[in-house]
Amino acid sequence: MKATGLLALLCAAAAVCATDAPTMRRLTHSQYNHSVHDLLGDETNPANQFPPEDFVNGFKNQFSSQSISPLLAEAYGAAAERLAHNAFRGGDTHGLIPCRPHTAADAECRARFIREFGLKAFRRPLSQPEVERYATLFADEAGRTRTRKFLDGAEIVVEAMLQSPNFLFRAERGGPGRQYEIASRLAYFLWDSMPDAELFEDAAQGKLGTPAEIDKQTRRMLADSRAHQSVDEFAAEWLRFDRLLSSVKDRRQYPQFSAELAQSMTEETRRLIDDAVWNDRDFTTIFTSDYAFISSELASLYGLPAPAAEFTRVAFPADSDRAGIIGEATFLALTSKPGETSPTARGVFVREQFLCQRVPDPPPGTNNNLPPVTEDKPVTNRERMSAHATQQPCAGCHQLMDPIGFGLEKFDAVGARRDQLKLMFHKRHDDDDAKPTTILLPLDAHGSILGIADSNFSNPRELGNLLARRPECQECIVRKLFRYGWGRHETGADRSVIQGAFERFRQSQFRFKELMISLVSAYALN
Amino acid sequence: MPSIKLSRRHLLKRAAVAIALPPLDAMFNAQGTLYAADLKRGQAVARPETRFVLWFNGNGITERYWMPAGTGRDFELTPCLAPLAPYRNDIHVITGLDNPAARLPGPGNDHHRSMSALMTGTSFSGHGAGGVSIDQLIAAKIGGDSRFRSLQVGVSQESFGESIQRNMSWAGRDRALPPEMIPHKLFDRIFGKRDEGWINRKRSILDAVLEDSAALQSSLGHKDQVRLDEHLSSIRDLERAITTLPPEYSRVQEPEEGGDMKDWPRIAKLQSDLVAHALITNQTRVASYMLTKCQGLSRFPWLGYTAARHHDYTHADGKAPGFDGPDGQRTMRDICRWHIEEFAYFVAKLKSTPEGDGTLLDHCCLLFVHEHAEANSHKNNGLAAIVAGHAGDLAMGTHSKMTGTVGDLYLTLANDAMGAGLDHFPTAGKKLSGITGA
Repeated sequence: MKATGLLALLCAAAAVCATDAPTMRRLTHSQYNHSVHDLLGDETNPANQFPPEDFVNGFKNQFSSQSISPLLAEAYGAAAERLAHNAFRGGDTHGLIPCRPHTAADAECRARFIREFGLKAFRRPLSQPEVERYATLFADEAGRTRTRKFLDGAEIVVEAMLQSPNFLFRAERGGPGRQYEIASRLAYFLWDSMPDAELFEDAAQGKLGTPAEIDKQTRRMLADSRAHQSVDEFAAEWLRFDRLLSSVKDRRQYPQFSAELAQSMTEETRRLIDDAVWNDRDFTTIFTSDYAFISSELASLYGLPAPAAEFTRVAFPADSDRAGIIGEATFLALTSKPGETSPTARGVFVREQFLCQRVPDPPPGTNNNLPPVTEDKPVTNRERMSAHATQQPCAGCHQLMDPIGFGLEKFDAVGARRDQLKLMFHKRHDDDDAKPTTILLPLDAHGSILGIADSNFSNPRELGNLLARRPECQECIVRKLFRYGWGRHETGADRSVIQGAFERFRQSQFRFKELMISLVSAYALN
Repeated sequence: MPSIKLSRRHLLKRAAVAIALPPLDAMFNAQGTLYAADLKRGQAVARPETRFVLWFNGNGITERYWMPAGTGRDFELTPCLAPLAPYRNDIHVITGLDNPAARLPGPGNDHHRSMSALMTGTSFSGHGAGGVSIDQLIAAKIGGDSRFRSLQVGVSQESFGESIQRNMSWAGRDRALPPEMIPHKLFDRIFGKRDEGWINRKRSILDAVLEDSAALQSSLGHKDQVRLDEHLSSIRDLERAITTLPPEYSRVQEPEEGGDMKDWPRIAKLQSDLVAHALITNQTRVASYMLTKCQGLSRFPWLGYTAARHHDYTHADGKAPGFDGPDGQRTMRDICRWHIEEFAYFVAKLKSTPEGDGTLLDHCCLLFVHEHAEANSHKNNGLAAIVAGHAGDLAMGTHSKMTGTVGDLYLTLANDAMGAGLDHFPTAGKKLSGITGA
């Protein structure tokens, strides 16, 4: 207690203590997959089998959520064993050995392999003690019996390096290694993967300290196909594709919903984002686009003619209520329950993901059971949730959420358009064949966003157009990308970075690439 | 490149490597009774060690069909508890305990807060539990000599949930210990065959990794050092587990890979068998068993309930059409009875496993808890728990209504039944009477 107090006192006086902020970031599962792909040519995505990661501050790459449990350590061990074995199956097919060894004990070639592979695996040059440590490991293994080969030694080195904290974590210590740390910052932000040869070369020559060089590298990297995997990962986490992909729907009401359809929904959204980013469109069109990239399955869900080819661009009819992300099944379905929409969840999602506002959880001990909907008393969500608006402690927060969702009520729990609410009452819960009683109720889809003037809307298109014009929403995109890039929530100290990036984003007419360039250079040089 | 799955086990089978350890089966006498042996010294010990298993299913219970009306030895088993009828003298039903930390102000919903409070006595951090869970506190005291300090085992593989819903064991604040939910993987961890060459190879690798870590650690700031320490302790646990030869123990069968992984009654029994085998072979003294998730969303096709999911059924507010009122209560009854059935299977397994002069159950202390009492109202006082087993002279064959906290129960069990010597647990203020001693 005393020591902490003293430290805080010292820190207030000296900027030196900034070094005590955590700097180590564990590779996310996605970064692990991409890194072992780039390092070893692996195509198996081994991290998909690891224990799942948590979302903190909306993303999976946040410092504070990245501990390693024994089960994860074990998974790293098993993956390393498999990866190292595959790397040398059938010889050095991936060209990992930079020299031709004369014998299994060729010390020169061994050291060269360790230095060159180690540089890529640890994303920095190895120290002399490290080279010696791995040389010993190599030599012991390659020399264990007469039949051992050079590649047996190389394999054990790969297996060990893949479990080393130097591979699994990105530790930043500044000093002479700073250039390499900048290379990793660029690579993991822009590619979601390790640096390539050119970045290592630049780092070795000490070129990565100037804004001009960072800008040059950033533009080169954005032109590389690996940049797509980083934007895809950002979008998948920001828009919580995981929630849709793990969701289930009541099969009596939504027989068309399946895991494959959920996959198609996220693919549609991914393509919308990709199109905006890589075709240099105004990024706010993701909220307003009067087109979508749909499969024939989605076309039938949306009541549109089938696309010429799967996931190609289809224009919405002029009188369509749909536009942009809010009108896509991904958003509409992932914010719904299995059997019905949730105006509350839709409102929370809009507040948290698109306006960067935090809605508090219900206070402890709140009874959050709504009155049941029965055949005798059939009601719409608006009527049923009226208690939210009138009763405390509910009303304080629910008025922030529910009215947003009410404006989207003409889209059901899988994202199909509906004019009326269809309530189904089953006589017996366990008999699917018995015909349910169906009651149709008219829907009132008037919604609004409390705190935003003139924000009345009654469909996704109107809400999307509203959001796209709002500075809070535009700035929220900047803040989300900041959290994804930095691996933490922004603080007051980050204000100028965010303001600067937002300004540049706006001046570029909301080109996402310009936003990335602006943020990544602040991150790399910070 | 196509994905190629290599099973070390299959390779080793073909390699037919001789393993030098005396097979554990040799320690069974003619009657099939196992005398627990100290593996290191090969000496028989007089009294088998005690074991602790914390058992959990999510969402709570339906009190009407779960809570026995009467107390004492003559209490009547309720419909939910009926599967435990053959073992009524091996269980102690305890009701009435409070989970006060669930009501501390803090982030999260009721399930988050109740779960963190139930397992650790501390409030939900916003990401995970706020402290160390009771099984880990006990493991820290008594697990040090085992191959696995503790095991975390799970059953329902629903993809739903964040850390607090998916995990019951916590090494520390926000440090979840995820359960192994796949039987053949659990088997491989505990009983997978290793040859000495493989073990030596792994040991050299982990030694290099530990040296790397030590070198890295010395150059880090304090907070990063702490985080790297967590990694190091995981590596050390891993090293201890994989560099010890597994027991040659032919009574355990390797579960098939594949099969219906949504058939949770099947998975539950496979996992129970493996935990029992791990306990009898002294691989660990502490385990946690997560049957379903906190706030779980299981469906129950084997019970005929597929229209909605567990959590929906607990709130008969129209999310699960047709499950209101008495109908909904009966659904909950059947679901809770299934939880008890799986627990009863585990009790039966331990009781049918001979050890020393009695059975494995004689040396176990099982504790079955849920994050809520009445599921519908998220009630976090008046909790329902079951203690089972006879470790440390536990009082059995009765139902007690107790006044106190779950922390009081934990501390009493940890010290009186397990001899763990725990100084304290958050929310624990007193020893509960009637837990041990006839």
